[in-house]
Parts: sequence; C-alpha cells; structure tokens
Amino acid sequence: MYRHLFKLIWNKRKQNFLLMSEMLVSFLVIFAVFTMLVYNYQNYRKPIGIDYENVWVINYSGDIGLKDIDSIHTFYETLIRNMKSMPELKEVCFSSSNVPFAQVTIQDGFDYNNKHVNGVNSYTVSDDYKDVLNVKMIEGRWFNKTDAVSRYQPVIINDHLKDEMFGNEPAVGKIYGNGADKNKNQVIGVVQDIKFKGDYSEVGYERFRRLDSAGLRWADRFLIKVTPDADAAFEGRLYKLVAGQMKNSHVEIEYLTNKRKNINYFALVPMIILSIVSCFLIINVALGLFGVLWYNISRRRSEIGLRRAIGATGRAVSWQLVMEAMILATFSLIIGSFFAMQFPLLNVFDLSAGIYLTALGLSILFIYLLVLVCAFYPGKQAAAIYPAVALHEE
Amino acid sequence: MLKNYFKIAIAVLKRRKFFTFISLFGISFTLTILIVLTAFIDKVVGDDYPDRKRERSLYITRLEEIGKDGHSSGTPSYYFLNQYAASLKTPEKITLFSGFSGTNTYINNKKIAVNYKYTDASYWDILEYQFLEGKPYNRQQIENGEHVAVISDDMKKEYFGDVGSVVGKYIEADNIKYKVNGVVKSLPITSYMLYSDIYLPFTVAKTDYKHKGYLGDCMAILLASSKDMVSEMHEEYEQAIRKAPLESDQFTSMFSHADPYIASYVNTGNEKNSGVTIVLSVLGGFIFLFMLLPTLNLVNINITRIMERSSEIGVRKAFGASSRTLVYQFIVENIILTLLGGMIGIVLSVIALYFINNAGLISNLDLTINFTVLFCGLLVCLVFGLISGVYPAWRMSKLNVVTALKAQ
Repeated sequence: MYRHLFKLIWNKRKQNFLLMSEMLVSFLVIFAVFTMLVYNYQNYRKPIGIDYENVWVINYSGDIGLKDIDSIHTFYETLIRNMKSMPELKEVCFSSSNVPFAQVTIQDGFDYNNKHVNGVNSYTVSDDYKDVLNVKMIEGRWFNKTDAVSRYQPVIINDHLKDEMFGNEPAVGKIYGNGADKNKNQVIGVVQDIKFKGDYSEVGYERFRRLDSAGLRWADRFLIKVTPDADAAFEGRLYKLVAGQMKNSHVEIEYLTNKRKNINYFALVPMIILSIVSCFLIINVALGLFGVLWYNISRRRSEIGLRRAIGATGRAVSWQLVMEAMILATFSLIIGSFFAMQFPLLNVFDLSAGIYLTALGLSILFIYLLVLVCAFYPGKQAAAIYPAVALHEE
Repeated sequence: MLKNYFKIAIAVLKRRKFFTFISLFGISFTLTILIVLTAFIDKVVGDDYPDRKRERSLYITRLEEIGKDGHSSGTPSYYFLNQYAASLKTPEKITLFSGFSGTNTYINNKKIAVNYKYTDASYWDILEYQFLEGKPYNRQQIENGEHVAVISDDMKKEYFGDVGSVVGKYIEADNIKYKVNGVVKSLPITSYMLYSDIYLPFTVAKTDYKHKGYLGDCMAILLASSKDMVSEMHEEYEQAIRKAPLESDQFTSMFSHADPYIASYVNTGNEKNSGVTIVLSVLGGFIFLFMLLPTLNLVNINITRIMERSSEIGVRKAFGASSRTLVYQFIVENIILTLLGGMIGIVLSVIALYFINNAGLISNLDLTINFTVLFCGLLVCLVFGLISGVYPAWRMSKLNVVTALKAQ
C-alpha cells in the first residue's frame, strides 16, 4: 500500500514541488526555534546552586583614602562590625566584581598535567561567601582562617571544571601551577555548579580564590544577607552608614533578585519574540497548506467518485488522501533532516549533539502533526462525496 | 484598462473568499512585523534628540589595546581624550563626557535608583537638550567646583513629585546634595551614550577622573564646522592615534576611531569584527528567512488560484489575447491584492505600536510611523506582489488553450 502511495507521489513530484519546498522551509524555521527552546529549557532545569533571595550587593567604587594595608584592614573591620550591629543584616562577605547575575566576566586559564583550559571564570571571595550565598560543597571544604598561612594557594573549583580537569579522580589535594610553592595552587574543595549568568545560561568553569589581606586594597563589592523583613528604611540607614564611611566613593545597593530578573531578560526576550513570530508564520503556513490541499482534492472528485462507486469506504478514501499528504511531508523532511544533521555533526555554536537531536525529533513530530491537521478536513470532505454526484457528466 | 483590471481583480477576490483571506492574512501580518521592526530601528538609530547636529559630528566611544597575550577594550579615559582628542585642530567644538552609572537615593523611606553622568560645559552647546526649566551649568560654575546638577523630567517627577519649578532646590544623590540648575526632557535608555537621570560637572566627581590610565569611562563628540570637514576631522584623529605612544610595554598596538553616529552606536570595540557588519548580517539573515515563508505561501496560493481560472484564461486565449496581456493583468491583480493586504497591515501595525508604547517596556521610547517607515512598507508590498506573482503568471501563460477549455 505504501509503496503504491510513494509511487503516486513520486510521479507527481514536479507538481507538488512548491508544497514540498514550503514544508522544507517551515521545518528549518521550526528546527531553529526548537533548538533555542530546548537549549534554554535544559539550562533552566539545572539547579541554580545558590540561595539568592534576601541577598544584596553593595557596589562601591573609588578608593577609601587609605594606603597602608593595616589601616585598610582596621577600616573594614570597623565597618563590618558596624554593619553587623544592624539587626536586619545577618551575614556579609567580600567578592570580586563578578557577583552572581552581574554582567561582568573575569576569566583566565587553568593548567594541570599538560592540559590547558581557557575561559575559567575567576572569583576572588572572602570566607563568609559560603554562608551568604549558601553554596553547596560536594567535596572538601570552603575557605577558612587556616588558609591564611597555608603552604600553597588554596583554590576551590566547581563540578564542571573538576570533571574536565581531573575526570573521576578526587580533586581535593591536587596541586597545580608553576613557580615556588607559595605560587602553586592546591584544590581544597569542589562546589556544586552555580549558574552565575542567569537561569538560562550554560554553566561554565568556575574557580574561587580566597581574598587575603593584601587583596582588600582592591575590594569593591560587598555581598550581604538580610532578614526577610529588611525594608527601604533599613536600606537607607545601611546606605548612609557605608557612604558616610567612604566619602570618596560612589555607593550603590542592588538586590540579587532584581539582577537575576534583568539578566534573564537577555535570554527570555529573544525567545519570546521568536516564538510569537514563528507562531504566526506557522499559522500562515497551516492556512496555506489547508487551502492548497483542499483545492487539490476538489480537483480529483471524479477519481474519488469512481473509487467510492467501486466500493471503497469513506474512511479508506480519506486515509489515502491524508497519507499522500504525509508522504509529501516525508520527502521534504528527509531533505530537511539532511540539512539539520549538519548542525550536530559540525558542532555549530558549540551546542551538544543531544540538544540538536532532541530539536530534530520535536520538529519532525511537529511538521507531521501540522500536515495531519491540515489534511484531515479536506480528507473528510472527500469521503463525503457521493459517487453519483461526482461521476455525473459535467 | 487599469480600471477594468481593478474590477476584475475585486470580482476574483470575492469569488474565492477563503483564499483571499489566507493571502491577506499572510501579507498583512508579515507587513505588521516588518513595520514594527522598522519603526524600532528608526527610533533607536534615527531619533536625533538631542544631538541635532549629527551630520557634522563624530563620536569617539572605544579604545582597544592589543598585546601579545590578549587585549583590553573599553571606553577611553578623560586623560586619554584630553590628550589626543581635545587637542585636535579641525573640530569647531569638542565635548568630553562619561557614560552613565547607577546609584541610589533614599527619600521618604522610598528607594530611588538614580543614573548619573559627568559632562563638561561644551556638552550643552553641542547637544540641543530641551530645557523645560532653568538652564545648563556653565564653565564658571564648573571651574568653581559648584555642586550643581541638571536633571531629567522623569527624575524630577520621581524625586520631587508633580510640583512647580524645582530650579534652585536640592536633590540628594550618591550621598551628596546638588542644586538643581535645570530640568531637561527625558531620553529613552536606548540612546545609551547621552542617557542619564542626572547630569553633573566633572569637577564634582568623587573618583579621580583625571587618572593617567588610557581606559576609563569617557566618550567624546567632535563637532565640525560643516559637513565637508567631517572626513578631515576623522583623518586628523586617526593620525593623532597613530602617533600616540602606547600605554605600556605589554601592548603592541592600539585602535580608536572617531565614527559617525550609527557606526559608533554598534561598535563592539573589536577591531576585527566591525559592529556594523555584525548587526547588518544578523538583521539581514533574519529578515530574509522571515520573508521567505510567506512568499512561498503566497506563490502556492496564487498557483492554485490560477489553475482554478484556467477555463477563463483558455477562453481569452482562444479569443486572441497574447500571453503578455494575460501576465500583465495577473501581475496587476496580484499587486492590488498585496496593496490591500498592505493597508490592513498598516492599520494593524498602528494598533500594535499603540500597545507597545503603552506597555512601557522601555520608558520614553515612543515608536511612531513616519514616512520612511511607510515607504519601506509599501516597497515591501510591491516586492512581495511581484515575486509571488511572476512565477504563477509564467505558469499560466504556458497553458494550452485546448486543455484549458476541456470540460473538467
């Protein structure tokens, strides 16, 4: 039966060329949209890795007017003590400017065992970072005071980087780097992946360094954890406290929840716009397909009438017509899949093959569904043709 | 003759209402999207408030330093622009200003996010801000280091509320009180070079804006005395950069350009990947793919409709109509259909723009349809009509008279 249908369609391929090319282009558009949706969805499903509710960032720029490292140390100690004396403030820590959901990227390389990895995000943070953001340790431990006098530079990496560099071996205790012992780095812990650039971003390589006393000279971000009832009045007092101490500096307070919303927009807005536009395009295509199929079928009335007269049931007739449309779709999908397969094979945009294959499967399903729906009504119309009326001499 | 074609076209459209509906739906929707996109681009790129002297201005917004191991790219510093841009001879006027940064203000237990920006005195001469109250701060006030500010009217509403004149009142931002010298009409944030809530003189900046590094937070506008002097001005800046010493030994080369507005707006600060080409190619690719589908659809529909009218065509051919006449008639009918769809599309886009403006996604961004946009839309209609009409018309002219007239 199918071979017969295939032959029929193959004979009429020139006539149906336009229809097939329309299905091909729609398939490509749907493939692109689904790839984007699948990619974002897969990223979304991974856990974000930190507790960002009730965490605020205090940006301050400019110098605090002190040069000597001891006076800087004392200054920050006093400031933090004053901050912690406010009941609504629970924890405070330092961070480099690439705080979660910030648009800042600081990257460098990582070398171990002759393996070099680029694009490792580098975060310089203080010991309380873990308590402010509630990061989860998988192996080892977070920084603490004993690391101030350790033999090597303590370093914490994330799970993704650990898999890349060390495979299945435990990472804690591994030493890497060149030069004297105190310039070498030792991994003291592995942390669960954190999605620093928003819910829809891919997790990268992350490495945390400990902020030491000398680094306080360049500190420019506080991350603070507040109680849920912290309000604008408290924020005003906090602002006055910090800005009052740092007269030469601009001070800004942001909420991580807002920053997360803003950085998610970068992924959400293109997705939404593209989906709306493709939705309309597909409705357009569906209507067009519907019209053309309906017209084609209405041209074959005498053929259908003849079949009914000989004894075909209405269901068999409509089934045949729908199947013909599906086979047309199959032809275009074969060509379309050929183009689509180039994407995972050539590793375009560095996306994993799984994403492309899922999108491919979903698009094929979608196109088949679309053709089925468009051919269903004309098929039903054809089945309702009376043989006597159809065979009537015009 | 055209009147007859018009009448025939309308009669044909009325005959097969479903096909007409499909075609009109496709064309009008595609046109709506294109018009909204054009209106958006036109507003972002073409809106010339407040830099009305755009044709004789060049903008310096980026500095890129390349070394062996990597490169640094960003906005130049005040020191760099003062050395190499402010000393140029060709420009009639030069202004240096910073980008905008955020800070907070707490008033009446309410938090207000404030964007601030530093400028010099010539900023107000080159750019024509509309002052709703007061006037800009002048050179004397800047030199005296007075704490004065010019605020946007959105900032005035948020901070002071809906009161009368606020000139002379004090606004607190970044923990310092500034006296309001003037209130200007707000800008949308898409004019990111000139946007801010508060404009302050450089001399009250908290950080050392004169530090000697090359990268910082400043941009410059060079104003030529006339349009012809612009290319000379561009050349002079290129020369100055070529002769300038590199910042340190770790860099091997340095790039900075004084570009016209659009080029500097999309400049990504990377010498190898020009911002303009990236934007154009992405936009072009998207538009091409986007228009391909409705065009194919229309071609399909048109072929179906032609085949339907084969008996009518057969009769006319039998009476001696040349293929040319028939093709001509059909293309005119198609253009009438697409123009009809175009008009519906324009109405739909007016509605869509009204909703987008009211949704307030980007404040102060009022999208309007102007003649450029309408003209583009009309052009698109015609192109659509021609492309989707030519192939079916060619198919139709090949019809054999006898086969066409044969009883179906």
